[in-house]
Amino acid sequence: MGTGRFIEIQGLSKTFQTPSGPFTALKDVSLSLRKGRRVALVGKSGSGKSTLLNMITGIDRPTTGLIVVGDTPVHALSEGSLAQWRGKNVGVVFQFFQLLPTLTVLENVLLPMDFTNSYPRKERHARARALLEEMGIAEQAGKLPAALSGGQQQRAAIARALANNPPLLVADEPTGNLDSHTAEEIFELFARLSRQGTTVLVVTHERELSRYFEETISIADGAITSVSGATRTAESRQGGHSHVSSI
Amino acid sequence: MFLRYKKIVNDLATDPVKSLLLVLAVAIGVFGIGTTLGAYAVLNREMARNYMGTHPAQATIMVDKGLDRAAVERVKTVPGIVEAERRATAEARMKIGGEWQRLLLFTVDDFSAMKVGAFTPLAGTWPPPDGTMLVEHGALEVMRAQAGSTISVKLPDGEPVGIPISGTVHDPGLAPARQEQTGYGYITPATLALLDRARGMDQMRIITAHRTPDAIEKTAGEAARALEAMGYAVHEIQIPPPERHPHSGQMNAILTLLVSFSFLLLVLSAVLVANAVSVVMVRQVREIGVMKTVGATSGMIARIYLFMIGIIAVLGTASALPPGIHAATAFVDRIAHLLNFTITDYAIPGWVYAAQVLSGMAIPLGVAAASVIRGSRITIREAITDYGVRQEDCGPGRAEIFLTDAGRWGTTLTLSFRNLFRNHARLLIALTLLASGGAMFAGALNLSKAWDIELDQLFEQRRYDLEVRFSHPIEALPIAEIIRALPGIQTVEVWSYASTSFPSGGMFPITRTYPDTGHGSFTALAAPSGTKLINLPLLQGKWLSPMSGDEVVLNHWAVARIPGVKPGDTVTLAHEGNNSQWRVAGIVENIGSAAEAYVSSAAFDRMSGAGGKANMLRVAFTSREPSIFSATVRGIEDLLYREHAPVKVITPTNILRNAVAEHMAILVSLLLAMAMLMGVVGAIGLMSTLSMNIMERTRELGVMRAVGATPGAIFRLLIAEGVTIGVVSIPIALILSLPLSIGMGRLIGNMAFRIPLPFAVSTAAIAGWIGIVLAGSVLATVYPAWKAMRIPVREALAYE
Repeated sequence: MGTGRFIEIQGLSKTFQTPSGPFTALKDVSLSLRKGRRVALVGKSGSGKSTLLNMITGIDRPTTGLIVVGDTPVHALSEGSLAQWRGKNVGVVFQFFQLLPTLTVLENVLLPMDFTNSYPRKERHARARALLEEMGIAEQAGKLPAALSGGQQQRAAIARALANNPPLLVADEPTGNLDSHTAEEIFELFARLSRQGTTVLVVTHERELSRYFEETISIADGAITSVSGATRTAESRQGGHSHVSSI
Repeated sequence: MFLRYKKIVNDLATDPVKSLLLVLAVAIGVFGIGTTLGAYAVLNREMARNYMGTHPAQATIMVDKGLDRAAVERVKTVPGIVEAERRATAEARMKIGGEWQRLLLFTVDDFSAMKVGAFTPLAGTWPPPDGTMLVEHGALEVMRAQAGSTISVKLPDGEPVGIPISGTVHDPGLAPARQEQTGYGYITPATLALLDRARGMDQMRIITAHRTPDAIEKTAGEAARALEAMGYAVHEIQIPPPERHPHSGQMNAILTLLVSFSFLLLVLSAVLVANAVSVVMVRQVREIGVMKTVGATSGMIARIYLFMIGIIAVLGTASALPPGIHAATAFVDRIAHLLNFTITDYAIPGWVYAAQVLSGMAIPLGVAAASVIRGSRITIREAITDYGVRQEDCGPGRAEIFLTDAGRWGTTLTLSFRNLFRNHARLLIALTLLASGGAMFAGALNLSKAWDIELDQLFEQRRYDLEVRFSHPIEALPIAEIIRALPGIQTVEVWSYASTSFPSGGMFPITRTYPDTGHGSFTALAAPSGTKLINLPLLQGKWLSPMSGDEVVLNHWAVARIPGVKPGDTVTLAHEGNNSQWRVAGIVENIGSAAEAYVSSAAFDRMSGAGGKANMLRVAFTSREPSIFSATVRGIEDLLYREHAPVKVITPTNILRNAVAEHMAILVSLLLAMAMLMGVVGAIGLMSTLSMNIMERTRELGVMRAVGATPGAIFRLLIAEGVTIGVVSIPIALILSLPLSIGMGRLIGNMAFRIPLPFAVSTAAIAGWIGIVLAGSVLATVYPAWKAMRIPVREALAYE
């Protein structure tokens, strides 16, 4: 991996076996992203953007190709190692928040630290509170997620994603379930995190929010079709396959 | 506590009904095991304590006249003899409610120094004053009397004498009076003389230093020889199975069956736990995905959910322990009453608790492990996107789609049918649980019906309504003629009976008869030629021919004593010290009797030397209508009294039927209780399955409501699903119940009668189970359906 490149993807393909036959969601995708960038992955439903995100986070495995995040070859990790790596290095934010309903907001934020044993026990509560403070929902710490508004839940989910201070934050349609005002607040938050050094990778189909991102990668039919806001160092197209690098 | 474990505790608290079902699933199995094993352990211990605490006679030497004290002292000097005591057991009769009934009178030499066959005073005067009797407390019910009552008692050769009841005793060495339909009294030698001057203490009861029948027989033989040397003639030596209560076989039958049932219950509860855990895992799949996303490994997830199962197991086990012990105690009491025991110590041994804890902890963890491991290995993508249901694994097949075509059933039913086929494994588990419960329910009722049919065989096989036994042979024919002339009499036949045995090779006839004279007895019967009053089914060979000089027909109880004997074989029968050879003509089934050997009247005469006299009459009535029946019995009683006939015992056949029925009544009711428990397990299984089906379809139900389905329509749809599973399970249950009924009938029949019970199908079982399943299906569906109905459409549509 070159200097400053944080995510390196080479020849990535993913084929799913479906009842109606094999379906290729990603076709020979190559991509490089630098650390601390704020990147949007945009495309229509079924274009492959979520699949690409899942590959980067190790949520799913590629059929072929390599994914290296930081110095870690994600594609080569075992399930157990992958879980621990993800817990420490990747914060994931879902469209439907996915807070555990029987844990309080504070406990939800504590959970990644519990699983990865990443901070001394005594420090965990203070850190979780600080994160909730940062997200502006400290007063909701003791409540169950069901008692929070959608925006508050998503902030709690972001706090949870940041619990282990991961260098990479990924979000799949994080504002899809929120009103436009709240959505803008969330994106402001991502921008702030990015300025603090966190690489933020967000899947969205709301192109009008692309102003919040330094780069926008468009995907269609499993291939990267364009990259905007980035300095392309290499690009070649061969039969719809894409090879993109960004600074 | 780790936060991850706190989450599990919170999860359990969030849906208390589901958690309770899981706890209940574990508890049912633990409860069943605790009840049956606890009862088994206590009863085995207490039976030994009670029965052996009476110092039961290992052998009773029957002699021809009253034994004097010198005889007792002499027997005590025989090597191997530990204790010896003279007794008398008189088969008397007591007048209860105008009818004469059987009363066993035990005469005790010295109440204050009983060493053999001891019993304990409960109330009243101890020892009983001369002219009075103590009564076994359980016999008061049969005697319809209480302390202070005076009972008219008559010995065969004596006059009726009013004997007051001076107190009660407990004699755990005897079978309960209610089961035997017999009274038990205890009297002094002076009271015996009051009833029959000629009767003396003609039994020598002994305890030896040995425990095996052969060694006991050898020592008893030596004691008998010592008595013969003193001028006593020994008729027979009764050696019942050592250290075995007369009803130990009955208790073992009950306990064996119940322990088997409880293990089956445990298996079903394990299936239920596995099913319920898979419900939980389906429900948690999204959260598993989230936890994995934030760093949890499959191992961590597995440990979390095993921790949850552990909590469930601990709660289930802990909640089942006290009721299990309570039920075991109640069960012990019931059996103790059945066997006339006093439980001195209810303490349940540690190994029973260990078995309960093991079954409550290891089995849930074991059966849940597969679901937990499978659930913990789910990938995040599957967890987040598929909600744990792999589309390619589910759904109805082509045949199922064809069979459930909407044109045939209507849309609602078609939807219900197809939903059932979403997850074949789950459907199979629900059907297995329900069908197993149903099979056991129907099996128990079938068994109950088979038992009734077998009891009715008593009347089929015995076409007489009354049997009269005399204490010694008399000129019975004239009496029979007079009886025949009485109103209500259809037929009278003259029979004879005598105690017999298969000789053991020693000098004296050895029988297996217990001191109550009934259990373990073996009787030779002289059947009149062409008898119409018995109709015993032939198992092998043929019935006695008119010219059957040396032929014998054995009943199946007698055959059990010499296994392998078959028609054409020669057997030796001992009577009064004489052996005679007989050719086996046939083997018959005989319900409700002890061992019996049928020979012709002429052959019996030769064997017994009765000189043409007889000691038994069998009488058939024209009507069994209770009032006519009683009047007819009283007419015969009066006549026999007028004729001074030495009546030993009169047994109406319906009393015999009641006595046999009492022996197994508790078993049938316990089987039904078990069956109901199985039904509950089935209903819980159905509820789990439906919960899971509904949970998976929350969004789908929202869609249905969005396109116009009313909450009522959704409710009906879900109820239809539950009822459909129930209905499908019914024929499976009923088919499964057939081999189960046959198997249980074979087990219980062999233990009770030594022959399998007949195969019977109870229509009440079919109707009952259909009712239970339909009602249970509706009830099991109501809660999950109600919960599904309450979810607002907006939430249901957003549900992931």
